[in-house]
Amino acid sequence: MKRTLAFVVRGRLRPIGLAILCCGWLAGCATLSRPEGSVLRAREQVSPALVHIRPVKEMFQTGKRTEMLVVGSGFIISPEGYVVTNEHVAGDSTSVQCVLSDNRELDAQVVGTDPDTDIAVLKLQGDGPFPCVKWGRSDSIESGQVALAFGSPHGLSRSVSMGIISMTDRNLDEEDANSAPYNNFIQTDAAINPGNSGGPLVNIRGEVIGVNARMLRGAENVGFAIPADIARAVVEAIIRDGRVRRSYFGFELQEMTARSMDPARRGVLIAGVDRFSPAAEADIRPGDVLIAVNGTPVNARWREDLPAVRRLIADLPVGEPARLTIDRNGEQREVTVTSVEKTAARGKQEAFELWGVSVAEVTQEIARRAQLSRPAGVLVIGVSPGAPAAWAGLQPGDIILTMDGETVDDFSAFRRMYDQRLQENRRQIMLFVQRGALTRFVLINLEQTSTEQEETRGHE
Amino acid sequence: MSKPCCRLRPVLPAVLGVLLLLPGLGRPAGADEIPSQVIRQAFSKWSSSLCLVMFSQELTDPRSGETRRREGTALGLLVRSDGLVITHGHLQTDTSRITDARVRIDSGNTPGELPAVVLGKPDELNLLFLQIQAPEGTAFPAVSFSDVPLQLGDPVLILGRMSESVDYAPGVTLDYIASVVDTPRTAYCLGGGLKMGFLSGPVLNARGEVVGVTGLEMSEEEGGGLYSRSGVPMVFQTALLAPCISAPPRPGGSAEPKPAGEEAWLGVFTQPLKPEFAAYWGLSEPGGLIVSTVVPDSPAAQAGIRPGDIIKSFDGKPQRATQDREVLNFSRLVRDTGPGKTVRIELLRDGQPMSLDVTLSTRPQSAQDAEEYEEDVLGLTVRELTRDIRIALNIAEDVQGVIVRRVASGSPAQAAKMRPGVIIMSVGEQTVTSIEEYRQAIEHLRAARPDEVPLFARLGSATGFFRVRPRW
Repeated sequence: MKRTLAFVVRGRLRPIGLAILCCGWLAGCATLSRPEGSVLRAREQVSPALVHIRPVKEMFQTGKRTEMLVVGSGFIISPEGYVVTNEHVAGDSTSVQCVLSDNRELDAQVVGTDPDTDIAVLKLQGDGPFPCVKWGRSDSIESGQVALAFGSPHGLSRSVSMGIISMTDRNLDEEDANSAPYNNFIQTDAAINPGNSGGPLVNIRGEVIGVNARMLRGAENVGFAIPADIARAVVEAIIRDGRVRRSYFGFELQEMTARSMDPARRGVLIAGVDRFSPAAEADIRPGDVLIAVNGTPVNARWREDLPAVRRLIADLPVGEPARLTIDRNGEQREVTVTSVEKTAARGKQEAFELWGVSVAEVTQEIARRAQLSRPAGVLVIGVSPGAPAAWAGLQPGDIILTMDGETVDDFSAFRRMYDQRLQENRRQIMLFVQRGALTRFVLINLEQTSTEQEETRGHE
Repeated sequence: MSKPCCRLRPVLPAVLGVLLLLPGLGRPAGADEIPSQVIRQAFSKWSSSLCLVMFSQELTDPRSGETRRREGTALGLLVRSDGLVITHGHLQTDTSRITDARVRIDSGNTPGELPAVVLGKPDELNLLFLQIQAPEGTAFPAVSFSDVPLQLGDPVLILGRMSESVDYAPGVTLDYIASVVDTPRTAYCLGGGLKMGFLSGPVLNARGEVVGVTGLEMSEEEGGGLYSRSGVPMVFQTALLAPCISAPPRPGGSAEPKPAGEEAWLGVFTQPLKPEFAAYWGLSEPGGLIVSTVVPDSPAAQAGIRPGDIIKSFDGKPQRATQDREVLNFSRLVRDTGPGKTVRIELLRDGQPMSLDVTLSTRPQSAQDAEEYEEDVLGLTVRELTRDIRIALNIAEDVQGVIVRRVASGSPAQAAKMRPGVIIMSVGEQTVTSIEEYRQAIEHLRAARPDEVPLFARLGSATGFFRVRPRW
């Protein structure tokens, strides 16, 4: 339902679409006359710092390495040329080309990305100083106030649209890949389209109050921006460390009202505890209520309250013991838990083209979803049609556990074992894979397929 | 943003839509080979066995849990004179359920509309069995089958019913066996398209003998697993049908547990030892069953069978499977061996022969006959977590609870965003590990009438709470 805004370059807009957009614009002109002065001033402040971003993304989903050109937006935040955009725009990219407002084309280097908040930081490769925007505060915004969205909707660079803030803290956390655990979103009716991703949402004073990131597919004028306060903290961490370090205890949180509307109950509900996590070792259980962290009370009565609590916990120093106050059936207890660093949900990916299979690292998150007791093996994410892996019946979602009877410990072990077989010119490779709850033997046969392929070619 | 690498969510059963098959593209190849006289004779002999199943159907969207109802009709075939009727299997799946069935019979001694009870589907045939409710001794004009094999290219005659616009008049269509598929089991594919009214219709050969019925294979999500070949109409031959007709499935959802001691269970999943596998492992000859999965706590696990073992002989019977379909023969052999029996299994481990004695147990209850319970307090229909549901959804053995099968439209459970596939582990303070405990928990709610009740539940690898507000 939700859709993020990287715009995939496919073809030109058809004239008919453009014509309709023009008409709409003409009709809208008259209503803009009154606040025009302030809008123009805001635009003058932001426009010079706007960046049209064209990353080339690397993808491995098909058993082959492929590249895809996407278009997004961004904005310069410092004279040295640091640019803020979305992770879904600049993540996994092999090169990033930026076009500045004065039409200068510059390459940029990816300084770091944070998939959990969908923020990426780039550094322009060119001579500064660069014009930059001014950060505003997102904690003082109100719904109803004017908001301007800047960026490249559908690849149309240097566009600005206007609306108001429709809602200040919309919770869009879902249990899928689009989860946004650490932030609510600013909802706006300023037009946001694919391609606006990473562009700034600005108040009437020309200050950045959010980073445009999402829209609702099928809806009109329902766009979402990551609040500036959260984006800014992440950006600073990325510039400082190259990434965001977060503490992880291994419990999932839910709002108190998921269990009861009783207003007397305060705290945060523990919804689930990962096996083999620090929380599980400390005997924290689902249904417990977390009421304080290092003596600081925490409270999440509603869903919207969860991101702040998660941030408080994530920001605890990694590897240091924390004192958690837990309420279990009305009885309070203190437990000391030492956090570990939260690992990325998505790890390395690579295509192994001789076999026609792309695999991904089995991260903690993937292991948890696949109900493995611990990360092991590699995850098949793509199989090239007609390739030996496809002939052998390997399927996306399979987890390769052993190769020729030898345990595949992790991603680098898989790569090493693959390379070794390539060098030795081994033609038959036996894999043992996990598929859902079952396991299976899969024989990659490089002989058979090559003859089959030749036969196919013979027919052409 | 799509992150396909993270797509490890449990696969929800896809909706098995009603398949509308287009009429055949050309004149069936063997059409001329059945004389019109044979066609007319067959028609007059068997058309009275063609009845019309009229039903109300409840369809559940597996994602949203929303339920809608529709009325429908389907071809029914009387297969036993006591009123046993078969119709096509996709009327009843994980996401659709017949709530009210009647059978219309046009000729014979008992024309009219009679109520019928849905018995269910056999494990391996995508056909739904119904029993007409009629006074003792009523004889229905049932079709009788001949066990005559079919071959590639054979012309076949199919009886069925036309569309509603001609009041479902009985009719015939001609087709031919276009392909004989060997894997995963021998299946006879029809060449032309079949109209809906000819699904589960009797199939006759050129001599006018009834050799089977038409049907579609089960979907993989439905537990069809190995048999999945969706979309292509098939012929289910007499040999497959006959055992199901003599022992039709029992009605699902009955509180009565399946009588113990019927089918034996070993607890392994196997693959055939194909020549290339044998060559890889340096074995002199192909044939056998590679153990790919050993179910925890099963007789196989207790006997120490491991993945990678190759079964060469079971209970004195040599195993020489080299094809996927032969795995099914092995499953049948195990089932029919008899629970409680100790059998000797000869196997190869790391190339070395060895033998093990295994005491078979009773095959665990399957999803098909899992107990179901429907309640109107929260608006849920829940099922037991049978072993095959655990395997299909990758649910660990230590997860205890009941699984949501349907969420009633407009119910308190729907308002709380519950959906099929959610495993309920506790209702309020009460832990739920079985249908019986769920039933007790609901009765408890009915007595206590709380304003709200928290359910602790699991979906995939995540756990969490649902707050449901019953309407008293």
